[in-house]
Amino acid sequence: MKLSKRGSALVATGIAGAMVLSACGGGSSSDGGGSGEGGSGQVVFGEPTAFPENIYPFISAGNSTATQTIIGRVLPSAFNVSPDFSVTWDENILASEPTLEDNGGQQVNTYEINPDAVWSDGTPITADDFAFTWKANRSADPADGGCEAVLSTNGYANIASVEGGGDDNKTVTVTYTEPYADWQSLFSTFLPAHLMDNEDPTALCETISNGFPIADGIIDDISAGPFQVKKENIDVGGQIVILTPNPEWWGEPAKLARLVIQNVGNDPTTTVQGLQNQELGVVYPQPQLDLVDQLDGLEPGVENKITFGLTFEHLDFNTTDPILSSLPVRQAFAMALDRQEIVDQTVGQFSSDAQVLDNRLYVNNQPEYQDNAPDEYKSQNTAQAKQLLEGDGWVLGADGIYAKGGQRLSIRIDTTANNPLRQTTIEVMIPQLKEAGIEATFNANPDIFADVDKPTSLVAGGFQAALFAWVSTPFVSSNQSIYYSPENGLGQNYSRIGTPEIDQLLSQMVSEPDPDKAADLANQVDQALWAQMATLPLYQKPTLIAYQSSISNVEDNASQTGPLWNAETWAVSS
Amino acid sequence: MFFFTVRRIIASVLVLIASSFLVFALCAASFDPLAKFRQRQPPPTQEYLDGVREQLGLNEPFLVRYWHWLTGVLRGDFGETIGGTPVTDQLGGRLLVTGRMILLAIIIAVLLAVIVGVIGAVRQYKPSDYAFTFLAYVLIALPTFWFAAILKEFVAGGVNDLFGQQVLYTIGEETPGLSLYASGWELWSDRIGHLVLPTISLALLSFASWSRFQRSAMLDVLGSDYMRLARAKGLPYRRVVMKHGLRNALIPLTTVVALGIGTLFGGAVITEQVFVWHGMGEYLLQNGIGQNDINVVLGWLLVSAVFVVLFNLVADVLYAVLDPRIRLA
Repeated sequence: MKLSKRGSALVATGIAGAMVLSACGGGSSSDGGGSGEGGSGQVVFGEPTAFPENIYPFISAGNSTATQTIIGRVLPSAFNVSPDFSVTWDENILASEPTLEDNGGQQVNTYEINPDAVWSDGTPITADDFAFTWKANRSADPADGGCEAVLSTNGYANIASVEGGGDDNKTVTVTYTEPYADWQSLFSTFLPAHLMDNEDPTALCETISNGFPIADGIIDDISAGPFQVKKENIDVGGQIVILTPNPEWWGEPAKLARLVIQNVGNDPTTTVQGLQNQELGVVYPQPQLDLVDQLDGLEPGVENKITFGLTFEHLDFNTTDPILSSLPVRQAFAMALDRQEIVDQTVGQFSSDAQVLDNRLYVNNQPEYQDNAPDEYKSQNTAQAKQLLEGDGWVLGADGIYAKGGQRLSIRIDTTANNPLRQTTIEVMIPQLKEAGIEATFNANPDIFADVDKPTSLVAGGFQAALFAWVSTPFVSSNQSIYYSPENGLGQNYSRIGTPEIDQLLSQMVSEPDPDKAADLANQVDQALWAQMATLPLYQKPTLIAYQSSISNVEDNASQTGPLWNAETWAVSS
Repeated sequence: MFFFTVRRIIASVLVLIASSFLVFALCAASFDPLAKFRQRQPPPTQEYLDGVREQLGLNEPFLVRYWHWLTGVLRGDFGETIGGTPVTDQLGGRLLVTGRMILLAIIIAVLLAVIVGVIGAVRQYKPSDYAFTFLAYVLIALPTFWFAAILKEFVAGGVNDLFGQQVLYTIGEETPGLSLYASGWELWSDRIGHLVLPTISLALLSFASWSRFQRSAMLDVLGSDYMRLARAKGLPYRRVVMKHGLRNALIPLTTVVALGIGTLFGGAVITEQVFVWHGMGEYLLQNGIGQNDINVVLGWLLVSAVFVVLFNLVADVLYAVLDPRIRLA
């Protein structure tokens, strides 16, 4: 085809435009770090969750999984959660295990910082950094010198003082006004005082509210871990962050020259084809059955592993509902369920390691886990369920469903919309309940997590039974708001019931700084919750990690620490 | 022409304001930016939630919120996301990503559509016409995500196996980290390797329907009296078809393509997702609707609407280029 002059001009303009646009692409400059800083090879980690806007973890904008992926091996931490969910002190950051003392009713913790520990600009890590981290998170009330942007003051608000001492200010003494069970969760990520501290609370609050916007990176590119994030290695348009070894790191150096964190979304096909085409090294997607099958097809070049994580599914019964306010009905409901069958039909499809969860405060593979379920709930117990209902005045109708005073024993189970796993769970429950004369229906409720203005939300209480997830943690205090009596404020106690005994145990638990004793109290709480039968744990959700078999030392850590927990030991064999 | 353009622009602004008002109303009624906080364990304090509510301006009456947003836009400020990042800063980058992905694809699609459309019309009911018709309908019927997945699986896999090294890529715009240690041809070939599949996917799927428009427009023109007259005057066939036929037959295609390009700038949503390009479509779905972020949704709406309006204007100007009668009027 012969083009007219005008036509060729148009095409030429278009092509030139495309080239100009492409030239603006890329993002990171070519003189960035990477070479000559030790380590060799590159691994691309495909991050499934949204690219973070901010990587300062103590404000809302930076409080995300993706933030933890980026800063987890960059900013220092006093304690870490291991893959087996035990809590261990960081042997690089600290010189010895922190001590716990009871000083006349006051909790006192002493940390000895490793004498070699330095920030990447050469400034030693000292007690000042602990003190500053406390100062930055102690209060959200400006009248009190705090900052409104602080997302959570839990624990830090209990601290009376953080004092330095010893040689070079390396000994930290933390004194609490009230004892705090989860003191080990504090100072996990602590901040560089020499770069961020400010005498003026208003100016400090501005620093905190601003956080670390992703385009600017971490303040002064500071690091105190095996890796560092340089501002020039953050490509916001491409949603790529490249970690490079921190040359000032005093521990075992990172084996890789570059660890690339690329946001690839959660599309199973993209993940599989990215691995197949060698573009992704390690992925951590939401497990789906067809995805696992496809990954199995890539063996032995790509390995995958299912782990059971801290997220668990459970039922909440609304005890303000006319039917479910009766304890025998709730007990009968729980006994009528064959939870082993539910597990087999849902998470059991992923791995034969799936188990029924018999504890609300700890999941099966946590070291503190105890099977607290009374025997009658261990397996399907239709006969006893019927007995309980009949004892409560329910009469079996001609349609095989119990009724009492004209009221059918019909319970609607709400759950989130578009969640196949939860839908299957309820669909397995329905016939089991039917056997015991209980009619159950499935209801996908898009407003389940909405505010009080939506009547069917959990907060507003317009539901009968609800299936959703909680996240367990080695740190017990987050459970208090779920099981505390509603008289203390609803918190997250959507079943709306509590007893003075449970309240008493919970308050003891959250102020018991000895981890073993706190775990013992937590298990006592769970035993009391079985008797109350307002919530029923079902199963842990799986997590899935897959990686090129040429990358060594990849191991899932299903806790909040995330799969990059040991990234400095990753190595690529060519 | 000038007054015509001015009138069109004024009308477009009114349309933009009306649509932004409607979308604002829908978002304000359905978005709940605080939902994610209520799922935290333990939940933030009520004071914290009240503070966020105040900061996001959720306590103000609906019309006041809209007014704040609108006056902000007039100053070039699209507001901030819930996480406190200015939307204005992000829109530019997103637009460039989408622009890089679609521009080459559009050029290829338009050229292919014109060539195939003209051949189909000139050789109507010949084997080539049947073949192109069949191909076009197959491509129109293919879902984007499936076609893209097939390309990644077989084309990328096949080509890479053939060369025994990475030539085509399935994720992103360039191999991450490559610009840290490579430059020049290595970098550019890598970027081209990343661009090939999204371009093929977009170009083929857009070209298919466009070629049908071109074919039917060409058929209309070929049967008209002035074509016969031109032939009767002794002009060679090829010259008649190109000069008199094609030029007139391009007018309908111009309209369709202009609308299509305008819409594509709003994001080739599925193509972006499948090839992991973080462009406008992802911005709307993930950052806007996914995060319940009203400023993101409206910023997206305004920018993509501006492109639709802009390309419609371009189409109007192109009519004048193609058809001298419009210039005189």
